[in-house]
Order: sequence, then C-alpha cells, then structure tokens
Amino acid sequence: MTATPIPIPTRRPLRQRVALTLEPWLYCAPVLILITAVMLVPLILGISYAFRDIQLLNPFSGGFVGLDHFQALGQDAAFLRALRNTLWWTGASVFLQLSFGLILALLLNVPFAGRGIAQSLVFLPWAVPTFLAGLNWAWLFNPVIGPIPHWLTALGLMEEPSNILSDPQIAMWGPIVAATWWGIPFFAITLLAALQSIPKDLYEAASIDGASPIQRFFSITLPYLAPVIAITVLLRTVWVANFADLIIVMTNGGPADRTQTVASYIFTQAFRRLDFGYASAVALVLLALLLAYSMVILVFRQKLSNRDR
Amino acid sequence: MATMEIRSVSKNYGTIRVLDDINLQIGDGEFIVLVGPSGCGKSTLLRMIAGLEEITGGEIRIDDRVMNTLPPKGRDIAMVFQSYALYPHMSVADNMSYSLRLRKTDKPTITQKVRAASVKLGLDALLERKPKALSGGQRQRVAMGRAIVRQPKAFLFDEPLSNLDARLREQMRAEIRKLHRELGATSIYVTHDQVEAMTLADRIVAMHGGHIQQVGTPLDLYDRPANLFVAGFIGSPGMNFLAGDVAGGVLRLSDGRQVALPETMPAAMGGATLGIRPEHVLPAPAGQGALDATVDLVEPTGHGIILHLTLAGAVFKVLTHDRRWLSPGPAIAVSFPPEALHLFNAEGLRV
Repeated sequence: MTATPIPIPTRRPLRQRVALTLEPWLYCAPVLILITAVMLVPLILGISYAFRDIQLLNPFSGGFVGLDHFQALGQDAAFLRALRNTLWWTGASVFLQLSFGLILALLLNVPFAGRGIAQSLVFLPWAVPTFLAGLNWAWLFNPVIGPIPHWLTALGLMEEPSNILSDPQIAMWGPIVAATWWGIPFFAITLLAALQSIPKDLYEAASIDGASPIQRFFSITLPYLAPVIAITVLLRTVWVANFADLIIVMTNGGPADRTQTVASYIFTQAFRRLDFGYASAVALVLLALLLAYSMVILVFRQKLSNRDR
Repeated sequence: MATMEIRSVSKNYGTIRVLDDINLQIGDGEFIVLVGPSGCGKSTLLRMIAGLEEITGGEIRIDDRVMNTLPPKGRDIAMVFQSYALYPHMSVADNMSYSLRLRKTDKPTITQKVRAASVKLGLDALLERKPKALSGGQRQRVAMGRAIVRQPKAFLFDEPLSNLDARLREQMRAEIRKLHRELGATSIYVTHDQVEAMTLADRIVAMHGGHIQQVGTPLDLYDRPANLFVAGFIGSPGMNFLAGDVAGGVLRLSDGRQVALPETMPAAMGGATLGIRPEHVLPAPAGQGALDATVDLVEPTGHGIILHLTLAGAVFKVLTHDRRWLSPGPAIAVSFPPEALHLFNAEGLRV
C-alpha cells in the first residue's frame, strides 16, 4: 500500500466563495422571480386589501382599517345569506353533475353503434363559454322567448308560464340547472376514463360468482370509482363555489338576493359598489372556508386509503 | 360434480369462424386439458362453457341440461382466470366468500367453508390481507380458493399458471393435481404449455385452427399422435420430421439417402413424412449408423444433452443422456429404433 498525501485545504479567495454560494440561487432565479411576480405579489396585495379601506369612488380611502371589514362581515345579513346560498348552490350543482355524469359515463361505456359520435357530442357543453351558456339558459327560462316555462305548464308543474329566475322561491334552480348542464361533461369524461380502466375479467369473475348487474355495479364499479369520485368532487366543489359567471349573467344575484352566493357577492361588492376592501375581506373568508374544506376531504381520503392497506 | 357434453359446437366472430364442429364428452370427475397454440380457440371454448361467450351453433350440456342460453350464474361452475381477477378492494376472506354472500349463505357456514379452503391452500394466515399485499403465487391460491368454496359442478381454468415463474408453476401444477384428486371435481383446464397438459390431464384435447385434432390420454398423444400437428406439438424438444417418398419398404429422402421402414408400415405410399422423437434417436460416431448428419450446436441441459443437427437440409434434434456427446465433433451418425418411428401420409395423418 502506498500512502496518498492528504491534500491540505487551502482557503479560496472571498470573491470565489461568494460566487459559489450564489450559484444555485442564480440558476433558480428565473423561476423564483416569475413565481413571485405572478403569484405571490398579487396574492399578498389582494390579502392586504382586506385590511385596508379601498373604495374606488372615495379618493380619501386607502388607509389601514385592521379587522373592521371582518367585524362588518359578521353583522352583514346579506353575506350570511350568501353563505347559505353558496352551500345550497354548490351542494345541489355538484350532486346533480355527479349523478348525471355517472349515468352518462355508464351509458357511454356500453358498446353501441355510433358511440364515438355520441361521446364527442356529449362533451360539447364543456366547450361552450359559461357566459354564453348562462345567456342561453336565461332565455330558455324566459316565457317570452324560451320554451321551458311552457313545457312545465303543459306538464302541470307550473300554473302559468312564468320566469323561474324571477320567482324568489325557486330562482336558484335556474343557475343550478345551467351549471349542471355545463358541468356534466367534466364528470362524464373523468368517470368514463376511470370506468375504462376497470379490468373486464373482474366483471366476468363476478358474473360467474353469481352477481347480478346491480350487484356488480356496487361491488366492483363503485369501489373502483370511489377515489376518482372523491377527487373530482373535491375539485368540482371548490370550482363551483368560486363560480360566479352563471349567476351574474342569469340573475345578477336577484331576485331579492335569493341567488346571491359568496362568489357573486364578491363580484357585486367589487365591481358594482366598487368597494375593493370589503370584497377582498369576503374573498379571504371564502378562501379560508374552501381551504378548510379541502383539508377535511384530503385527510378523509388519506384515512380511506390507509384503511385499504 | 357433473358430466359435460359438447355437441357440434361452433363459434363465429362476424364472418370469421374460430371454432368448428367441436364434439367432446367429459366424464364425471374427469380432468380435461385443452391444449394448443395461441389462437386455436381453446380459451373461446372454455369461455363458451362458462357462459361468457355466446354459442353460435351446437349445444353445451352440463348434467344433461342444455346451457346455451343460461347466464354464467345459472351454470354452477367456477372459473380461475389467468389474471386471477381478484376483487382488489376486498380482503382474501371476502374474495373467497363473495359468491357465498351473494347466495345469502348464513355466516357460520361461510366462515367454516372459507376456513377449510384457506387451510387446504395454506392461506389461513393471510385472510385479512388485500390482494395487492400478496405475491403472485398467493394470489393464484386465492383465485383457486374462491373457486373451491363454492363446491361447483365443474372447475374451469384459463391458463392459471402463465403469470407465475417456472419454479412456482411446477409447484402449483402439483398442487392442482393433488387438489383435483381430493375434490374429484370435473375440471377443464386451458393451457398452451404441453408439459402442463401432459402432467395434469386425465385426457388431453389437442386443438389447432378451431378444430379438435386429437383426444386421448397424455401417453396416447405422446405414443400415437393422430397427425403431424399433434406429433409436433406434444413433446419437448419437438418430434423430428423427415420428408420423402416411400417405395419398396424404404423412405427416400430429398438428398437421395434411404431409411429402412419396419415391416409393420406400408411398403409403398408415395409422399410421406417420417417422425421420430429426439429422445428415441440413437447417436453414434460418424459412419457407424443409418444416416450421417452435421452437428450445428450442442445444448447441455444438465439432465441431458440436446444435439442440433442438419440432416437432409432440415433441423434434426437428438436428446441423449450420455455425456460423451458433449463434444461430438463436426459430424455424427444417427439410427432409428424401428418401434419408435411414426409415419404420416401426404395429408399429415398417421398411417
């Protein structure tokens, strides 16, 4: 064995050491700058508005008000109603979208002549801009130009052709129906993809084991779809809860705030009353609620998949 | 337990006929192996018996009841799939008891049956596991267990060992055989592996191109193959074939050399194929046998040596257990014991 001389560490000059330390940051810089500029700055600015008095029509506004907006929120009956409406609007929309999306996916998973065309047609609503969809449905519900009130009357569900959107009791159903029509394809696409990944021989094994089609659905299809359903419902809930376009276009929150959701309330506060400070505070509350909801769902999902193992 | 009868069954996919005039009688408790290359229709036939494929023509009877239009659940059969098809979200116990639960069997009976089957298959320690926590061999056992607990009239196996490694396959093969002896249930087993067919079957059904080529005991098929297909398919390495003309009690090869035929074979018949299994060929030093052949390759397998030769322009294999042939030199001679020769006519049928 020959002893190799141990190199004696020599101190590098200061400038070289600084350059070495900075090197990795230099490589990361483009991304860091981009993220900061595009995501962090607007987010922090938006959050800061919630603690400031910002009204476009008041040139003297702009000062720091602390938690004043949030205190006002606590007493704001319109906000509390919007919160309740949001729950109802989101729950009903997501439930209906999921139900019809699942049915559609199951139908499209069965081979039939012209399935390819049917599949692409079904996904059309997704391609329609929401603004257009909202207008379209608003007209459909309008007894002067739309057929739906007349059909409902003919079916005996309505006493005389009137506009659903102007009846405070049922106005919310208008945007819910439009949102359902528009959102079904999203569920149908994802669930169809999940359905097609279920091995065929599982169904064959089950049918030999003596399972009827309904039993096969509950013991194979549903357990297989469960994780996909969980994640799409989570995504969709957040999405729909934030989704103000249809409501703004169709009812503008009315009649009598009956269709005002938190999202449309934010829009109204910011762009109708031009009170950006208050709107930001409402938005911050919605953000906190949705974050909490996502956490609960994720923890729930984690528990489920842990139990699986 | 049941008898089964397949009467002139056929199957078309569109205009393509994949099974043609299949006839087969299966006795009570018999172990039948359907064997053939991929695409021969063996799996289709099994799936038709299971009720997973429609029957285009003919009749399938189990215990003298026509099954043609009955759904799978009405046929009282169990099937083991190549992919095992275990329900991934159910535990081993739930997988095995699924069919019993569907039939509303009472809990104590289910527990007792699952326990009995799991002990028999060595799964009793794994009952609470999910399939994804099991090895390939264990999953295979669960699939078998799922079939056993039902005590069906017949077991159907669709290449159940293809996804296992060689050693495990050997072990499971023996276990399936043992299980069949214990349960005595009528079984139909599909495989493309002729070793599985030989070791498992009471009777082998050799299939090719949608037709049954030969039905018989494993040794029947080995000793007296009905045609060139069966002769070439059964046995490993496969049978050697020498093509030529038979006249005056000898087979004249394409290169003009002659092989004497035993007196039991026809003395003259024109174009024919002579077959001999590699293990029956007697090797000898060059010039000291019936025919000389050049050596291409020597394959020692441990328990024997496979010599790859060229004879009359075709590949010819010899299987010997004599270690002297590990280095045979460039050429050797081969001789054929007369009783080991098979003769096939121009249509490929045994003479």
